[in-house]
Amino acid sequence: MSDFIEPLRRRLVELGCPLAQVRRLVQEVADHREDLKQAAMSEALSGADAEARANAQLGDPLVLAEHLMVVLRRSSWWGRHFVIGFGVLPILAVPVLWTLFLFLGLSLEFALGFGWDWKKLHVAADNPVAFHHLVLALHGADYVAIALVTLLFCWLARRSAVSLKWMVTSCAICSLYALITWGRIEPHSFTLGFTISLSMTQQWIRAAIPLLIAGAIYILRRRTTQRFHEKVAG
Amino acid sequence: MKKTNPSFLNGIPELLVLRLLARREMYGYQIVEEIRTQTGEALSFGEGCIYPYLHYLEAEKQVSSRRREVEGRNRNYYKLTARGRKRLEVLTSEWNRVTTGVSQLREEQYV
Repeated sequence: MSDFIEPLRRRLVELGCPLAQVRRLVQEVADHREDLKQAAMSEALSGADAEARANAQLGDPLVLAEHLMVVLRRSSWWGRHFVIGFGVLPILAVPVLWTLFLFLGLSLEFALGFGWDWKKLHVAADNPVAFHHLVLALHGADYVAIALVTLLFCWLARRSAVSLKWMVTSCAICSLYALITWGRIEPHSFTLGFTISLSMTQQWIRAAIPLLIAGAIYILRRRTTQRFHEKVAG
Repeated sequence: MKKTNPSFLNGIPELLVLRLLARREMYGYQIVEEIRTQTGEALSFGEGCIYPYLHYLEAEKQVSSRRREVEGRNRNYYKLTARGRKRLEVLTSEWNRVTTGVSQLREEQYV
């Protein structure tokens, strides 16, 4: 069994198939193979011949894994239109999503810190210590917004089983936007904008967030895959 | 045709699978065999390739699945849901419209 199922499982994992899907697909293909074998045995073939015929009907496990991945990818919009979804759409959607998440984060901070009271906010803006906390809150919300946009595209890439390069592409676009966008807070004013000023340390920190997320996901994926192989082998 | 039709694989496999599952609960091998035999081998799924497709239908809540033991064998059985039944009606009506149109055109050519 393992001479067919094992290469199939390995190839599915290599192609970036989500592990839950790998388990299920491998289980069902193994069942299907057993059914083909039973059908061959009902035609008076020996066990070995029946197994050989079942394997021949299923074809090369590596090719089957690739077919399964093609069908899996085609079954979602993101998988069918991966160039648009992870190459073009982020260019249009990242600034919008970043602004949205940033405002949601700031609204949450405003609600928790000031109870939606604008007067309290204006008083805080005039107090240097409180204002420093506001600046920190903005930076926090900004970093979280960048991370959330990146994670959203990573999650979509993982869910639609597209190759790692498309996840990295969307992370790179997020990183580029993080490098050129900014949010600034001054007493009684808040501005968002675009600029190409690479001398600011904060911009580089922002740009590093999507790249760190991509790196972390890559390492996590490798470790999970390794553990999955070890678990199956054990 | 593929570029202009957004439905997965032009909707034909979807129609076939939903049609079969409308009759009874089935597992993957049974579906592949039924499609092959009932279409006179004119249509067939690649062995094993039916599963991601069934998972897609399940994600779309058109079918549901459960692991069941029958005669000592454990398999995933799929059955049609209410949403799948509605989808089948839509696909059948679309298919009838297309085949009627094509038949009319063909008859016209030979008149």
